[in-house]
Amino acid sequence: MNTVLIIQSLISGIMMGSVYALLGVGFSLTWGVMKVIHISHAAFGLLGAFLAYSLLQFWGMDPILSLIVSVPLLFFLACLIYHFLIRPITQAKEVIVASMILTFGIAIILENLMLLIWSPDPRLLTISYTSKVLVLGTLYFQYPRMAGFLLSAVGVLVIHFFLKKTYTGKAVRAAWQQPEAAQLYGVNLSRISMITFGLAVSSAGAGGVGMAFLYSFEPHTHNLWLIYLFLVVIVGGVGNVLGAALAGLIIGVITGLSLAFLPYQWVNLLTFGLLMVILVIRPHGLFKGEV
Amino acid sequence: MKKGFFRTVFFLTLVGLSFSLVIGQQNPILASGKPIVIGGSLPQTGKFAETAKWIEKGMRFWAEEINAKGGLLGRKVVFKIYDDESSAGKAVTFAEKAITVDKVDLLFGGYPGTAARAVMPAAEKHKFVYVSMGGHMKSFEQGYTYSFGGPPLMGEWWYEGFYQWLKSLSANQRPKRAAVYTMNNPIGTSLIDSINRMTRDLGIELVINEKYNLPLPDATPLIVKAKQMSCDILFANGFFADGVMTIRTAKALAYNPKAIVQGVGSVIPAWIKELGKDGDYVFSGTSLHNKLRYPGNDTLNAYVKEKYNLPAYPVYFGFGYAWMQTLSQGVEGAKSLDQTKIRDWLKSHTVHTICGSMSFDERGLPSPINFCTQLINGKVELIWPKEIRTAEPVYPKPRWK
Repeated sequence: MNTVLIIQSLISGIMMGSVYALLGVGFSLTWGVMKVIHISHAAFGLLGAFLAYSLLQFWGMDPILSLIVSVPLLFFLACLIYHFLIRPITQAKEVIVASMILTFGIAIILENLMLLIWSPDPRLLTISYTSKVLVLGTLYFQYPRMAGFLLSAVGVLVIHFFLKKTYTGKAVRAAWQQPEAAQLYGVNLSRISMITFGLAVSSAGAGGVGMAFLYSFEPHTHNLWLIYLFLVVIVGGVGNVLGAALAGLIIGVITGLSLAFLPYQWVNLLTFGLLMVILVIRPHGLFKGEV
Repeated sequence: MKKGFFRTVFFLTLVGLSFSLVIGQQNPILASGKPIVIGGSLPQTGKFAETAKWIEKGMRFWAEEINAKGGLLGRKVVFKIYDDESSAGKAVTFAEKAITVDKVDLLFGGYPGTAARAVMPAAEKHKFVYVSMGGHMKSFEQGYTYSFGGPPLMGEWWYEGFYQWLKSLSANQRPKRAAVYTMNNPIGTSLIDSINRMTRDLGIELVINEKYNLPLPDATPLIVKAKQMSCDILFANGFFADGVMTIRTAKALAYNPKAIVQGVGSVIPAWIKELGKDGDYVFSGTSLHNKLRYPGNDTLNAYVKEKYNLPAYPVYFGFGYAWMQTLSQGVEGAKSLDQTKIRDWLKSHTVHTICGSMSFDERGLPSPINFCTQLINGKVELIWPKEIRTAEPVYPKPRWK
């Protein structure tokens, strides 16, 4: 048994999975609260990554600090999109199908805008600590991965406490659990949905920065990230923040460990095989659906 | 008087027509007839878009040049390029559409190898000459008669130059243990045969030989294994995304083999631009290079420098240009747009391109082309064959700083 390989793969998997979690939390929220399957969620994540890249290139701003700019910007943009595009389709008979078609269109528009602004060139976030590592005995902890992990942990916890401890957050949960009762108690469902959508999209921006710490990216990369989003939500349960976070970690750990134990060409088969098994056994996810 | 007048007008008209016909051969503005339409598809979006944009730029520069000289067979050339969105299936659809619906005069070569391989049978079915990189050796062994690799980009030849260079080292200088990680697709797997032969011939033990499916989620276990097994040469046969992940992880985990060979991902400009110094000292191979001394390379380098502010043309810019050179020489040689005549001319004559002179065998392939390259100080340098060397190879690779 190769202990170092297993532990190193496990560490790497946890860090990778935590980033999937941050990217997936908002996707799970919009699906759970608003019944909107937000196909352009990953494209907004990618936009966050590109904004971080440009702020780093032109002003030398650390990608994590760049969130001070990109998170409010994405929140504002999401509110506008909600008001003008998403809200009208929530009246549709088949909200889920209508939302998928609409947000698929938004994803294509965003991809093309990113192509126009940043060109199809692949990009990497290269920061002062890109190559730095913390060595503990025989184990290596890469700084960018740790940064991604910390960003994700903070991001998921902030969303969790926002939903549990703030008045608006409680209203979001109420809207998810009992929309009619929430309305009777004075919760403005439209406003709550807009805040949820804004929160989800801005968390996608943060998740996109986390993904950019791990991977190169280009304007079409969101299609790949979207697959991980579905994986996180299906494993974690729709609308469940902590479930999505745990799902991200589980996927990361499974991927990391299977890379250590199995021939590499089996890894994706195993990960997506897992998705199918969960869909069959627990179609609502591993964890009970609750915001 | 009247008779004389008409005779003069007739004579002047004849002279005018003859003059315009002669001038029309050289002057694009006066070039006669409809333009020659060259159709097909490129991945303008999707995962191969970065590379394909340089192919398109190379093709368009060729068109600029040839139109300025009066066109092809005296006719201006124009492109009808579809975006196949990096899908080989769509590349076939668009090739069919270009031939049957648009009724283009000529077909241009697509990218990547998977798309080229898929288009080759369609070109054969419609009897259209198809000059491209090809889809590696197997695609040229299907009996197609209208397909040409002019020049090809053969995975099976990719490391030939590196192998020859490694062979030139004394046995004790060569690496002893190899780790090979290959993306599980036709491009990646086409590299494996040559690695097997190389390691066997040079007595290098193949300690790890694994394939992975794209996208590669994490390179950490790959590098940990290679380091633990003391592999002193790493073959990372992947595209850009998995390639940079492997390099960055190798650096982070302080894995220092004597040589890193990265087949495909390292040949695009983004490798140097985005990885910076970390991308240095990687070996690769090519059938085309901007420092080759064949006619045309200097012109291309000057153009790219002026237009894109790059020190020299990216390799795929050269490929786009060279494929059009081969096709146009076939057309000019055949003096016709008849596809069979073009094919027969190409099969029986030598073409002269920026990567040298090529004669095609019955499969449509030239003799194996094998240049070994190494990235040194952010530049792709030619290492082998020795007579075309542009820089001394850096070996063993310096340790990560």
